[in-house]
Amino acid sequence: MIRGLLIFSVSGLITASLFGQGPGRRMERGDFAFMHAEFGGAHKVVQGAPYSAQAVTQFTQTLANGDHIQRTTTASMARDSQGRTRTERSFGAIGALSAERGGARTVMIFDPVASKSYVLDARSHTARSSQIPAARSAETAHARPERNSASAKIEDLGTQVMQGVSAQGKRTTRAIPAGREGNEKEIDIVTETWYSPDLQVVVMSKTSDPRFGESVYQLNAITRAEPDPSLFAVPSDYTVKEGRPMMRRGPESAQ
Amino acid sequence: MNENNRELLDGLRELAADGPREAPRYIEERVKSEFRKQNRRRHLLTWVPVFSVAAAAAIALLLWIRSEAPRPAPPKAVAEAHAIAPVAEEETDGFYPLPEAEALPAVENAMVVRVELPVSSLQLMGVPVSEESADSNVEADLLLGQDGLARAVRLVE
Repeated sequence: MIRGLLIFSVSGLITASLFGQGPGRRMERGDFAFMHAEFGGAHKVVQGAPYSAQAVTQFTQTLANGDHIQRTTTASMARDSQGRTRTERSFGAIGALSAERGGARTVMIFDPVASKSYVLDARSHTARSSQIPAARSAETAHARPERNSASAKIEDLGTQVMQGVSAQGKRTTRAIPAGREGNEKEIDIVTETWYSPDLQVVVMSKTSDPRFGESVYQLNAITRAEPDPSLFAVPSDYTVKEGRPMMRRGPESAQ
Repeated sequence: MNENNRELLDGLRELAADGPREAPRYIEERVKSEFRKQNRRRHLLTWVPVFSVAAAAAIALLLWIRSEAPRPAPPKAVAEAHAIAPVAEEETDGFYPLPEAEALPAVENAMVVRVELPVSSLQLMGVPVSEESADSNVEADLLLGQDGLARAVRLVE
């Protein structure tokens, strides 16, 4: 019932939101237009475990006629011993969605040492910086929700070396009983996650949800050497603008 | 709401730096404002904003109830790692978990991207929308995980 309430609420807000929109250009189902990016939400700071890697996410959707739609996104990731991170990500696709005008590429630098985060815009050579609020207690460090749903079956997949690092595997199978969402048969959603305790990152994850498709995320070419420090600094030819966190509305939040 | 969505909602609220203790009141206020504006303009559409106000009130009530509910203790912290909320609470406030994301791995590092998209694209992420509004475009913030996949959506008003 609560789920229904949420859906009802989102639908209501969509309706209300539409009244504020002008007659925009025509976009097709599955399209999106990237506007800009921000760091958001919690960010895990890990010190003493530097690495660099290429992250690849592949999303595959199987259509009713048996055809497949595949979308792949890539990101370069780096973290130094002090816990500073750099993520350079393309936004050509987000899951099943595809960018209308090709993929924008954005660099994000998260610097807990200087208590700053930056989003670099290569087109305008500007960096939007934001102050990082003071760290919360270590108590909240790994405040990840425990997924111990009664309906989920969890299997330990043991330990494997993946891309040169040791990773612990876990397979979680969640079942949506027949009838809950109008489904005739039970739907099984399977998630496989390989987590490196040394690097404290997910090295590989694979999710198969018959309702939406399959996604595979993998860290490739993992290097555990200290990355070049210049990766975590704003390039000298960039103009730094102090930015406010992205707000829901307001011209000052846009860029 | 099924168990998976409940867990995801819990996770998002953790991401929101301990989460709002109360429902985001601006949602209700802005929807009410929208209601008043539209009511002046279009009398025929009176019931649509009413619907939205009711929905926002339902969200407020729901979030308030959930914030009062006891939570399991977080797992023990691991040395040399801690979490930081790099942006103000407003940024992670007001997100709705996507059905598409309920089975994805927990978010280690989140980012928010603002996009414009047709409402019909939201359908692909499991958000039910009416066919009448499917061709319209909306601005939305997507909360992405380290894998670049969306976990939650927030509409930009």
